[in-house]
Amino acid sequence: METKITIKDKSYRIEISEIEANLIKVVLDGQEYLFSQNEFQELFLVDPKTKTSQADKELQVLSADLAAKEIRSPIAGVISNVSVQKGDQVKPGQKVLTLIAMKMENEIIAETSGTVKEIRVKENQFINSGDLLILLK
Amino acid sequence: MIEKFEKINSTSQKAKELALSGAEPWTVVTAQEQTAGYGKDESVWFSPKGGLYFSIILPKSQIEDLQTLTILAAFVISKILKDEFNLEPLIKLPNDVLINQKKVAGILTENIIGKELKASIIGIGLNTNAESFPKDLENITTSLKMELGKEVDNEKIMDQIIKGLKDQLKTISQ
Repeated sequence: METKITIKDKSYRIEISEIEANLIKVVLDGQEYLFSQNEFQELFLVDPKTKTSQADKELQVLSADLAAKEIRSPIAGVISNVSVQKGDQVKPGQKVLTLIAMKMENEIIAETSGTVKEIRVKENQFINSGDLLILLK
Repeated sequence: MIEKFEKINSTSQKAKELALSGAEPWTVVTAQEQTAGYGKDESVWFSPKGGLYFSIILPKSQIEDLQTLTILAAFVISKILKDEFNLEPLIKLPNDVLINQKKVAGILTENIIGKELKASIIGIGLNTNAESFPKDLENITTSLKMELGKEVDNEKIMDQIIKGLKDQLKTISQ
């Protein structure tokens, strides 16, 4: 999509295209900017230097598979309930714990199947965003 | 889209299932009676016939906006109770609305989160036409009918709350 906007009598040519899933290229008067969207649908600027080759991407998928065995908290809050026990089998979409954060109840679900190897948190414990909650194997 | 049930375990539970199977935002689940209505910390929300119980699938939003919306829901409900029925509601943040120090409405927002936000549901319980409550609740709970001495129109109130929430979300997510 190409468009032109005028701000304070100066006009700019803007071209917007989705170059791959979740990567938007914006060309502003010849200058390129890349944007991606985070889990809360906020756009953020991507540094082109960190944009990786296909081979790197495959590696990333492999490490993402490993990371998928870790269930981390996307937000800070207090654990109100742990719904699984060590040794339990979990399925994708299954609730593993409840976190009270920002006046809301947040069900944290597993994204992959696996066996609960380790539970790193207890009820009533405060956790920070990014903390490891549960490890699957 | 409004899914109506005569009796259900919990409108929020049903709304969560629908949201995860791809139902559209602003789909509403309502029931005349809930057999397992709940509030925060899995507390029981007594849900006999006559009350207004409904849950809404919210559009995917920033988590901060959902928090604000929860608080604004209490405001929306209070405003309707004041404007339509001339009552003097008090908001007990973030989840409850009181009349004469007794609970008349409860709100619970629940998010389902994997690596990203999968679904958000706001559940609202409003004691509208209940005529009495069990002994353990009678000193802490009231209904609009008990306060006003007349029945109210559940459907009309639900429509007003949904409209209020849509308007508020528009304002905060801009």
